[in-house]
Amino acid sequence: MRALRIVVTGLVQGVGFRPFIDRLVRQIGLNGFVRNVGGSEVEIWVEGDEEGLYEFLAALFNEKPPPALIDEVVFEEESPLGYNGFTILKSGESRILRSNIPPDFAVCKHCLEEVLDPSNRRYMYPFNSCAWCGPRFSMMYRSPYDRENTSMAKYVLCEDCMREYRDPSNVRRHHAQGISCPRDGPRLTLYDRGFTRIDVGDPLVEAARLIDEGYIVAVKGLGGYHIASLATDDDVVQRLRERKRRPRKPFAVMGLDTSILELLVYMDEADREVLESPQAPILLLPKREDSPVSRLVSPGLSHEGVFIAYTPLHFILLMHTRDKFLVMTSGNVSGEPMCRDDECARSKLSQIVDFFLVHDRDIVNRVDDSVLRKTGGEYVLLRRSRGFAPAWIKIPVRLEREVVAFGGDLNNTGGVGFEDKVVLTQYIGDLESYNAQVELLNAIEYMVRNYGVSLRDSVIVVDKHPLYHSRRLGVEYAERHGIPVVEVQHHYAHVLGAAIDRGLSGRVAGLAVDGVGWGDDSTVWGGEILVFDAGKPGAYRRVASIDHIPLTSDKDTLKPARLVYGYLARKGWNLDEVVKVVGVRDPRVLSEARVVFRMVDLGRYTLASSTGRLIDMVAALLNPSIERSFEGEPAIWLESLAHSGTPRLLEGVRFFIDDGVMRLDYYGLVTNIIEMRGAVEPGVLAASFLYSLGYYYGELIAGTVKGEGVSSVVVSGGAAVNEYLYKGLKERLTLEGLEPLLPRNIPPGDGGLSFGQVVAGGLIRLT
Amino acid sequence: MEGGVVTTLHGAGGAESWVIVEKLIRGKVPGNLWRVLGGVGLDALDDGSYIVVGDSFIVFTSDSYTVKPIFFPGGDIGGLAASGVLNDLVMMGARPVAFMDNIVVEEGFPLRDLEAVVGSMVKTLVDNNVALIGGDFKVMPRGEVDGIVISGFAIGVSVKPPIVDSVKPGDKIVVTNYIAEHGATILAAQLGMLEDAKGLRSDAKPLVKTILPVLEKYRDGVNAARDPTRGGLAATLNEWARSSGLTIIVDRGSIPVRIEVAEFLEMLGVDPLTLASEGVAVLSVRSSIVDDVVEELRRNGENPSVIGEVVEPRSSELAGKVLAVTEVGGLTMIPPNAYNLPRIC
Ligand SMILES: [Fe+3]
Ligand SMILES: [Mg+2]
Ligand SMILES: [Zn+2]
Ligand SMILES: [Zn+2]
Repeated sequence: MRALRIVVTGLVQGVGFRPFIDRLVRQIGLNGFVRNVGGSEVEIWVEGDEEGLYEFLAALFNEKPPPALIDEVVFEEESPLGYNGFTILKSGESRILRSNIPPDFAVCKHCLEEVLDPSNRRYMYPFNSCAWCGPRFSMMYRSPYDRENTSMAKYVLCEDCMREYRDPSNVRRHHAQGISCPRDGPRLTLYDRGFTRIDVGDPLVEAARLIDEGYIVAVKGLGGYHIASLATDDDVVQRLRERKRRPRKPFAVMGLDTSILELLVYMDEADREVLESPQAPILLLPKREDSPVSRLVSPGLSHEGVFIAYTPLHFILLMHTRDKFLVMTSGNVSGEPMCRDDECARSKLSQIVDFFLVHDRDIVNRVDDSVLRKTGGEYVLLRRSRGFAPAWIKIPVRLEREVVAFGGDLNNTGGVGFEDKVVLTQYIGDLESYNAQVELLNAIEYMVRNYGVSLRDSVIVVDKHPLYHSRRLGVEYAERHGIPVVEVQHHYAHVLGAAIDRGLSGRVAGLAVDGVGWGDDSTVWGGEILVFDAGKPGAYRRVASIDHIPLTSDKDTLKPARLVYGYLARKGWNLDEVVKVVGVRDPRVLSEARVVFRMVDLGRYTLASSTGRLIDMVAALLNPSIERSFEGEPAIWLESLAHSGTPRLLEGVRFFIDDGVMRLDYYGLVTNIIEMRGAVEPGVLAASFLYSLGYYYGELIAGTVKGEGVSSVVVSGGAAVNEYLYKGLKERLTLEGLEPLLPRNIPPGDGGLSFGQVVAGGLIRLT
Repeated sequence: MEGGVVTTLHGAGGAESWVIVEKLIRGKVPGNLWRVLGGVGLDALDDGSYIVVGDSFIVFTSDSYTVKPIFFPGGDIGGLAASGVLNDLVMMGARPVAFMDNIVVEEGFPLRDLEAVVGSMVKTLVDNNVALIGGDFKVMPRGEVDGIVISGFAIGVSVKPPIVDSVKPGDKIVVTNYIAEHGATILAAQLGMLEDAKGLRSDAKPLVKTILPVLEKYRDGVNAARDPTRGGLAATLNEWARSSGLTIIVDRGSIPVRIEVAEFLEMLGVDPLTLASEGVAVLSVRSSIVDDVVEELRRNGENPSVIGEVVEPRSSELAGKVLAVTEVGGLTMIPPNAYNLPRIC
């Protein structure tokens, strides 16, 4: 007779882990207990014969529930206490080690089968879930994941559900915290746009009928409100665009399942797996030529953002629609966070939708849909939220102190770090919105509390940009708590984050291809090569950068033709020549050209070595009236255009040394494009420019890292996901025996900034 | 501020100016010398200061003016200096009575121009029945001053306690006319864009006849008055919010900006809330009398709008902040910064 005390950390709570252990132990015939521990790992006590204990340990790894992820198992031999039988104990009070807060999981196939089985008592039940699937973080008030800590607490289990809950042989429902059934679970109500209840037999079926008739319906889902409408009707999509004041930003399309989505986009086996994973993200895939989706859903773009119904509610809704796929976009007012409660929906969405389909389970934490795309054949996160946050990311280094990071201002996420773990908050959004700022503070508070971050011993990390809201919020937060603030340069956070994410430890060259980040020299950066030591963060050297574009204000970013006026003005062109290049006729645009030209002439600008702005400027050379109505629009447009051409290497770049930094001067590239515009297909020019830019970045790296002892190259920043830029970079680096590594577990854009900030803040030497 | 140098930001009326005033000036003066004779001074940091003499409140203010160009549509540096100084008294609720000037001119400055700017300064004073009781005139060698600098010092009288800005929860924020007219005009002139941006004109004017009578009549319900010059409306509102610890919420759509100004600033990427007005007052008025104040202002020829209100902060982060409801129904913060750096990634 021997006894083991085992502590398992990882993603082990809220995934049916305790019932799994319970069943396993009974099968083998061991005694003892299992319980969740405060910080939220699982503690197991087992006693029995040696053979049984070995069998148990093997099965622990091999037979665990599908969504479970084991980071670490610590076990000690103890003296047997003579337990009789095996029990699931109530959660312990004292914390042993910290463990993961489970993210939300898409409905599992077993639960869907029940929903579709007319003989099952959960037939057509929109809130079916089990130990392996369903909402978690989005309904958790606090850790650990016990029913009384969630917004399911108010639904009292009926006898049938209670029987399942207590039945050790019921793998998916024994001790499953979030289960319910049509008798005891959340209820749906349909409201009109004035939020007056509409009496109908089945609100879900009625909502589907209304959508089919062309109405726009807000649907309260898992992590917030969506807005659903037909995706096949131009008039409906146009109406949605007008009401949402969203002229061109693509809408996501939700399909019943992947076989429906195959009518819309091209997908391979790996794509299908991603779409059907417990994270069920939005994935950008190439549109089929014969896709039935209205062109207004993602106007002018080559790819469609698609995902599958990830709750039974969405599944049943789509099932009852004609098309089996719908526009499913976030329920928010432009620039504001998605609504998660009725008050927000009532006050903000009634201008946009005709009806509301609402359930009465509180959404505790807003969780937006995650978004992935492919670059160089690999999946890259564009937005890391539902299904991922707030589970931690293990890193290969141990932080020397605990950290709270406030991220950037666009696509914001915050982060906390402790031990060898980084937790990023769910997607917060654009901090221009005051409500988003409040949500960032709340999300950080949530992570600090539930992951037990000791603020007294922490540092606060902020970006260097003097005007960032995130910076101000971080500084105010540090003042309130009396703790130090560390500034981490934007692009260092990007590339350090990428290096740590890819498990690197030696000397690394980091290429940051990005929009706007505040540099160390009071200029704007965004096309930088930083050399640093991934194992000993703190110091980095900016060895190279692209040349500058003058920025007169954020207006230049919103109207990229202005970048052309300013850039050429600084290159000594006269106004008439500039105006001719852009082909301005409209007198108001002419005035604008003159304003920008004069501002640059008089030195009223900020210098920017920004890849994002360079790409925007080239987009404007090919399409002078292009405007940015959503983040990255000109770049996304240019990449879409590039798909219609084959890239070739353009000539005209020049390298020069300026203040110890090697600069890539792309003026010749720009003038070449200006000259070739009439003669060469725009698609070829787009592809060739992006490819060449990447290629010359590779050349810049090759030329500057010699003698630096660099063994790896990472690439990050918002423009790193560009297919052609990445391709050019990769092909040039291959000649050097190097490969550009993109971050995998964090977005290369500013949604991943807080990750690098946490690592830097946790490791650099404090002065 | 160790090791740094003074930049134009320090004089732009935003957070940087505040640091200079707070740390470099007020911090060095012993508290008992911030004010005298029952009045207020450095303790309030308002448009002006006062002392009490018998039953009267004697109000002082001074300001200096440099502007490029010296002549601009709608005025020149002389009229600007006189009306700017008088307006500071008006914003204290005081009736201006006397003025002194300090003129520093660069060697080589055209006499004709000097005559013109001094002429409009004097005319502004005479029109408002203010005595010019003294001054100083200096010439600096070429290159040691840029053209001309005019400083003014003025004295006003009030029978009631002057308006020391102190906004109260529930107050409505009133703007008396279109904002950013002066700032936009100067910017256009500096960029050589007056031809393109037609219809731009500085609003520089004294507020003695149109606004002072309203402030005198409704003195008890006006909790704060300020002319939003350097740093614009954004700076004024932020100063009020910060000093009171309250929150100010404005409705962006109701802030009056003339279409010509809006379009020109749109091209520049400059927020009109950060640009100077030289003939506008911002008032924080008890809500029960706001309709009367607006009505009276309109009768006097102003074009007032209620743009927002002062509220108790909903949370500790909101204390001292200025928020704006946007045209699409979002909520944003209006920062006190008077400068404009690219932020969008
Ligand atoms: Fe960035
Ligand atoms: Mg005042
Ligand atoms: Zn399930
Ligand atoms: Zn039940």
